[in-house]
Amino acid sequence: MRVTFFLSLLFLALTAGCSDAPQEESVLQQDYASLEKAARGTEVRWHMWGGSAQINQWVDTYVAGEMKRLYDINVVRVPMDAPVFVNKLLTEKAANKNTGTMDLLWINGENFKNSMQAGVLFGPFTDRLPNFAAWYDPQKAAHDFGYPVDGFEAPYGRAQFVFEFDTARTATPPADMAELAEWIKANPGRFTYPQPPDFTGSAFLRQIFYATTGGHEQYMDGINPELYAKNAPQTFAWLSDIKPYLWQEGRTYPKDAAALDTLFARGEIDMGMSYHPAHAQMKILEKTYPDTVRTFVLAEGAIFNTHFTAIPFNAPNKAGAMVLANFLMSPEAQLSKFRPENWGDLHALEVQKLDVAQREAFDAVDLGEATLDAGTLSAVAVPEIPSEYLELLERDWDKFILGH
Amino acid sequence: MRHAPTMLVLAFLFLLPVLVLILQAGAPGWRYPELWPELGLDGVRFLATRPGPFLTALTGSLGYSLATVVLTLSMTILPAKALAYSSFRGKTLLEGLLLLPALVPAMTFSMGLHFIFIKIGLADTAPGVILVLSMISYPYMLRALTTGYTLMGREYEICARNLGASKWRVFLEVELPQLLPAMAAGGSVVFLVAFSEYFLVFLIGGGSVASFTGYLFPLITSSNRGLGALVTLVFLAVPIALFIVLELGLYRYHRKRRMR
Amino acid sequence: MRHNVILGLAPLLLPYCALFCAGLTLTLAQSMGLFLPLGPGEATLEYYQALTRDQGLGLSLRLSLFVAFFSAAGSVLGGTVLALALWRMPPGLRRVGVVSKIGLILPHVAVAFLVLLMLSQTGLVSSALFQLGLISTPEEFPNILHTGSGLGMILAFLLKGVPFALLLIGAVLFGFDIRLIQTARMLGAGPLRTFWSVTLPRLLPAMHSAFIILFLYAFGSFDIPFVLGESHPGMLSIRVFDIFFHRDLSQRPQAMAILTVMFVFAAVFAMLYNRFAAYMDAWRRKL
Repeated sequence: MRVTFFLSLLFLALTAGCSDAPQEESVLQQDYASLEKAARGTEVRWHMWGGSAQINQWVDTYVAGEMKRLYDINVVRVPMDAPVFVNKLLTEKAANKNTGTMDLLWINGENFKNSMQAGVLFGPFTDRLPNFAAWYDPQKAAHDFGYPVDGFEAPYGRAQFVFEFDTARTATPPADMAELAEWIKANPGRFTYPQPPDFTGSAFLRQIFYATTGGHEQYMDGINPELYAKNAPQTFAWLSDIKPYLWQEGRTYPKDAAALDTLFARGEIDMGMSYHPAHAQMKILEKTYPDTVRTFVLAEGAIFNTHFTAIPFNAPNKAGAMVLANFLMSPEAQLSKFRPENWGDLHALEVQKLDVAQREAFDAVDLGEATLDAGTLSAVAVPEIPSEYLELLERDWDKFILGH
Repeated sequence: MRHAPTMLVLAFLFLLPVLVLILQAGAPGWRYPELWPELGLDGVRFLATRPGPFLTALTGSLGYSLATVVLTLSMTILPAKALAYSSFRGKTLLEGLLLLPALVPAMTFSMGLHFIFIKIGLADTAPGVILVLSMISYPYMLRALTTGYTLMGREYEICARNLGASKWRVFLEVELPQLLPAMAAGGSVVFLVAFSEYFLVFLIGGGSVASFTGYLFPLITSSNRGLGALVTLVFLAVPIALFIVLELGLYRYHRKRRMR
Repeated sequence: MRHNVILGLAPLLLPYCALFCAGLTLTLAQSMGLFLPLGPGEATLEYYQALTRDQGLGLSLRLSLFVAFFSAAGSVLGGTVLALALWRMPPGLRRVGVVSKIGLILPHVAVAFLVLLMLSQTGLVSSALFQLGLISTPEEFPNILHTGSGLGMILAFLLKGVPFALLLIGAVLFGFDIRLIQTARMLGAGPLRTFWSVTLPRLLPAMHSAFIILFLYAFGSFDIPFVLGESHPGMLSIRVFDIFFHRDLSQRPQAMAILTVMFVFAAVFAMLYNRFAAYMDAWRRKL
């Protein structure tokens, strides 16, 4: 019995290596209609951050439901953090694993850059998707944290960094950085931020970086180590200055954005933050936040970015992944995603390209009391800078603030 | 009553947490400083309307945990007999070495093993997960079976062989029935270890192997505590239910045998 | 005879070598820079040297040892006391002990969750104290989970460890030959002396086993530190997880080096502890 077991194991191991020859060329050569046909009845595994039950539910119900109905494709959502699946891809590429298990990824920023530099993404594919040509502005989707996209990832949504506060506890929120620092010092133990390299914590670091060093324009031309070395100390001086007034005296930080949300929801801190403007409204609808919560932005600017979907080099079902990426870019999916009871994620398409009825549908979406209106948000919108700065900031934060 | 303190400690340590879980499951919006929350069945409704991922995760975990029990059993049954009945130089050292996988941090060998698995194609598969779980849990089964064999003694086997029974028959009709309690004990521990394991399933399974711990983990740190508590209660209930079934099964089996 | 023994052991030795030993070997190899995902490299000890220079790592090691020691010792102590208390009960009442199995069945993440629910500053115990009027704001509640000493993790490990120790020690205790105690009492020994000279020596092997298992488990555990751990210093296992999953692939040998050190420590500790326990036993018997 054991012999047969080990023999079958050997057989498994031997045949596992015999992957089908890369069909990348053939997939990219086919027209979209035949891709849709080829993908019928197949399964697409979508690896994405699983830390929000709301987003998970939207994907599991609306996206999976529509994909099944329209294209007869089974979408399986797999919760996995972006750095984890990038790491997985890098290891798989190095081990020559040409048939992986991930079809579509929710990705952006330095994870995208690292993936591109290691050559673990499939593409360019966005130009083959009809919805991209129809509703999107290629210029706007051309760069991700300053790194050229080159058609290797498809736009999915937009996000902007906001702070959250409870009107029941704090009457007026700070208007700029200086007032924020004052507020933190006047309310010791009531403010904190997620520990970088968490996505939101890292974004907070960048906000402080922009505000304390005179804005983002100077960094947009690619990484400049001397400029960073000259400016970074001001950022860390600000952070060290407020450190003793933070929650737990800055000795420890919530592990991720979800942990920060819990602290804010439970009243252990008085301010939250999120890289998702409708996050507070979503939490209010979920009954996790009290309905007196509102959001605010600082005068120095609120970072925004676009987030994308991408396909790994060794995706077993590239055709299906492309159909899913295309569907997510459709006006219907973007509209559904835009509703705060589903997710509230800002759309990434060009509203001018839509017809009147669709445009009205988008305008009619009420993002809720807690979300700032589009005008306020765009007035302070500042773009992301090259992700090398991100990595330097995170590394130095560990060194200077945490003392690692 | 002089035993009251002990009972109080037991109740406080083990019954109170279950009560807390039940309350939290029924009251997702439980906020400080309410001691008695207002009940709302949102969590239950959430699961009831879309049981798909929840059930997939649960059956996945049950599947690989039971498979681990079967595998560890087949891996250790012959060695247990060899260790119980023979003595040789270096036996204590060997026994110590064989216990190592349950003692040393699983991370130490599993991360190296992960790379090997990727190369031979076992990563992201259920067989890979089952193999790795067997590695960390077989010592418990080995110990249980060795004890079982030692307690049983060789006499029955020798007697039956003398009477002409084949090795296979001896095993099935003489040894197996007497080993059942040991197998049940070892199997229970192996099942629990496999069922509760998060990191190894996450590492080797890579998200492709459905796991209940993988389903529960993100809920714990999130602010949705009601759902987290609910899923934890299911986590508690499933092994208990299985153990009851096991106990009943064993009881019935022994009754039947006695009547034969 | 020998031949048969080896054949009998084969079903276990084969996977043991192919999986356990192979995995360890690769961890060791990668820690020296060989067989890396980025291509076969050259053997080097530089990653180990980097370890010795890393002060943060030293703090993490200290924390892991501290948490492991106190949770294991506390569990063994608590388990023994509970086992003795249950032993004194009449057999019918003793059945309530089965409630402790809940601690065994709950997965580690769930136990960490419970500690969070109950002991955070806005947790249940804090709410209870508030209702009783003993505190008026969450800040007044003692800061149990974020002291930097790993207290939250220790409590979670205790909740899992006490039932485990209870199981091991209870197995010995409940099979105890009562006549030994009766003889000692008849010969005039008091209850304390009886415990020390008659009962305890027989419990010690189980206590030592429980201690080793619980200590090494807490030392290398991932689940509980992930939920309850703090930023600085972090437990060793979380450091490894961080480097392995969140940092550059080029840093992987660093993680492997830490793992190798952890393995060597665990194996040496298990061996030395056994020797030490046997030595203490012999010394005690001489008294």
